[in-house]
Amino acid sequence: MSTVPKLEVKGATKQFGSLVAVSDVSMRVMPGELRAVIGPNGAGKTTFFNLITGFFPPTSGDILLDGQNINSIPAAGRVKLGMGRTFQITEIFPELTVRENARIAVETGLGFSLRGWLTGADEKRVRDASDEVMTMANLTAKADRLVGELSHGDQRSAEIAMALALKPTLLLLDEPTAGMGDEETYQVTGLIRRLHRDSKYTIVLIEHDMRVVFHLADRISVLAEGKLLAEGTPAEIAANEHVQNAYLGKAE
Amino acid sequence: MELVLFNLANGLIVGAFYVLMALGLSLIINLSNVVNFAHGNFLAIGGYLAFTLTPYIGFWGALLVSPLLTAVFGYFIEQVLIRHVYARNHIYSLLLTFGLGFILQDVCRFIWGPSPLPLGIPDILSLPITEELFFITWYRVFMVAVVIVAVSGLFAFLRFTRVGMRIRAGTLDLDTVSALGVNVAALRSYNFAVGSFLAGLAGVLAAGQIGLNPNMGDDLIMPSFIAIIVGGVGSLTGTLLGGLLIGVAAALTTVFYPAGAEAVIYVIMAIVLLIRPRGLLGEEGMLT
Amino acid sequence: MNENFLSRHRQLLIVWALLLTVPFWLPMLGGYTALAGRVVVFALAAMSFNLLLGFTGIMSFGHAAYFGLGAYGCGLFMKFVTASTLLGVLAGTLVGGIAGTLFGLLLVRRRGVYFAMVTIAFGQVCFYIAYKWDEFTGGYDGLRGFARAPIDFGIFKLDIAASNNAFYYFVVAIFGLAVGLQALILKSPFGRTMLAIRENERRARFLGIPIEKHIWLAFSISCFFTALAGSLYALLNNFADPLGLNYIMSGNIVMITVMGGMRTFWGPLVGAVLFVALQDYVSSMTTNWMFFVGLTFVAVVLFFPRGLMGMLQKRAGT
Repeated sequence: MSTVPKLEVKGATKQFGSLVAVSDVSMRVMPGELRAVIGPNGAGKTTFFNLITGFFPPTSGDILLDGQNINSIPAAGRVKLGMGRTFQITEIFPELTVRENARIAVETGLGFSLRGWLTGADEKRVRDASDEVMTMANLTAKADRLVGELSHGDQRSAEIAMALALKPTLLLLDEPTAGMGDEETYQVTGLIRRLHRDSKYTIVLIEHDMRVVFHLADRISVLAEGKLLAEGTPAEIAANEHVQNAYLGKAE
Repeated sequence: MELVLFNLANGLIVGAFYVLMALGLSLIINLSNVVNFAHGNFLAIGGYLAFTLTPYIGFWGALLVSPLLTAVFGYFIEQVLIRHVYARNHIYSLLLTFGLGFILQDVCRFIWGPSPLPLGIPDILSLPITEELFFITWYRVFMVAVVIVAVSGLFAFLRFTRVGMRIRAGTLDLDTVSALGVNVAALRSYNFAVGSFLAGLAGVLAAGQIGLNPNMGDDLIMPSFIAIIVGGVGSLTGTLLGGLLIGVAAALTTVFYPAGAEAVIYVIMAIVLLIRPRGLLGEEGMLT
Repeated sequence: MNENFLSRHRQLLIVWALLLTVPFWLPMLGGYTALAGRVVVFALAAMSFNLLLGFTGIMSFGHAAYFGLGAYGCGLFMKFVTASTLLGVLAGTLVGGIAGTLFGLLLVRRRGVYFAMVTIAFGQVCFYIAYKWDEFTGGYDGLRGFARAPIDFGIFKLDIAASNNAFYYFVVAIFGLAVGLQALILKSPFGRTMLAIRENERRARFLGIPIEKHIWLAFSISCFFTALAGSLYALLNNFADPLGLNYIMSGNIVMITVMGGMRTFWGPLVGAVLFVALQDYVSSMTTNWMFFVGLTFVAVVLFFPRGLMGMLQKRAGT
């Protein structure tokens, strides 16, 4: 087992003025792994995501994708290297249909976004790829509905579908079930599991809902006050005293 | 040399006007994201009110009361019209104030008539300051002094009063200010009134120099936009600098190439946009 | 999407049936065909502008510049170079479009009200040039000394100079080509990225769409079409008007678009009908036309922000 990690973070630190949001965090995510990042509010989880996706550069430390240092590559470039991301607040094109949302993502991914027309073959490629991601997200039946009119869970699925349309090799999901009821949480969790088990995506997700985390994750990293508190399998984390004190013991 | 001096002095005065106008506009843009197209008409209203008031309370009284009434009027307009479009696409606030400007211009024409009117100023102000500097009347000096007082007053207001500090904080981060329990709606109304006060003051001063006509504000609105763009987004000091800069630049151009006087301010804007898109003192990341 | 009585095809049918039969029914309503020409020209300008406002979510408040440059470009070309109508229209379109493309370079990094402010300022530059440079442009009095000439297609001759109806159909034909092209653009991958930028710029950026490049291109396309409308405007009265470059004209273009419905394809056409009718009526009734036009602006913003087509579609749709 000497594979290169899909994602490796080495001693990443991010300071905003005197505030240290992320402090010396290291992490190795292997190909095909589903890693959950948990921690209390203000633990620096989203900042950590923003470092990985290139929203801003780390104050110190390195980010490696497939063993290649990507510190100097901006966000858009990381998307091209295969990093797909969803946001804490769902980012979609609300007044367009599911199909249009998917098509925009597919066409951008294929480099067609400046095209004034498509040849028959390209049109077919785009249509097939859009259909494929809509099927994956279980949205085919709702393809012609406006995304903004869909349920919370379906909107999240549509957002994930758009990320998938760019053919990512690493998916970063920022609180995919935030603000959802049981049924929608179940729906989105199911989608993530399919992506992981069936389609073998490497996934890193931030999550608050512990049921989701323990149900999905291969390994869990716990952040607290910007530092890595613990890392291990769900069972190890559940048994870890530090974690229980810092986090699990407290009600959200 | 005398010509250059004359135009330099003239440019500072014109620039001071731009500054008064532009600061008012800038305040409103920064806090409410509304470009008030009718700002030039608020200026005209300030001037006309002074015209009506002067026979009763004299020039000095009108200089104070008329901007205050303009502020009250601005507050009223904000309450009745402007506040309804804050939450909407910016295009609506532009169209609304654009239409409002049309209405106000015709209202001025209806009340005070379409022909130009003079605003009487005290005799002492119409004298030149010295024999040699015959081209500079005391009124010009007076105008610059009033602008300096008004601008200092504005900056002191923003720095030292509770409302002023909240306006500044709201400009930087409206969400946080709102989360702290400040009544943002009321703050925007006050702020709009302050902006209108500055327009009214500019109106009185302008009327004393060039007289009154219903569309007197039209020529000032475009330079004010440019002062804001040149000075930089979100920075009142930038607006101040931008206004003076284009005023002086336009006046000095008059010396050497009169036809280009109006063009030069647009050239300055284009240059600034090219080499420093956020404006002279605009903050990084505030390219919105 | 919305299966209703205003479906796309039915809209298309109604619009073209009405446009093509104008010379037959408009006189019966007390109008004259030249008025319809004005409507179509304004509609083309507003639909071109709406590519930005309604479909890219970008707010230009200076489109009079490209409209006016089109008019002057066409007029000057016909006056000083050659009296060919078609070449004049081409020249006007190029002048306005290229100017817009160049201005666009300075604009693309700005958003919201600042984008609008800079576009207004650029518009005024063009106004001042036309206004001041009188020996060339006619200054305040506008540009005269050119006239539309009959077009010889070989097989037949279209006498747009003598016949108002022939000219009207000439304008409608160009309008049809232009908006057909616009519809194709909106249906293309590039058109969809325009919508994406309107809907959620952040998401679009994170998909890897180069936002600035796309906004620039959209702006440029919009300016070319607007300049085309401006060229036709010059031919309408054989006259280029400096007020056609003024920011008040820009405001009118915005108003036409909003009044008709900025999120709909045909909205600006409907808006142009309303606007021209209102302008014609109000200016014949009162000298205080500014007051009433202003009042209309305020009323539309406060009470009918979706515009007429927007309201119809909403009612029929959901």
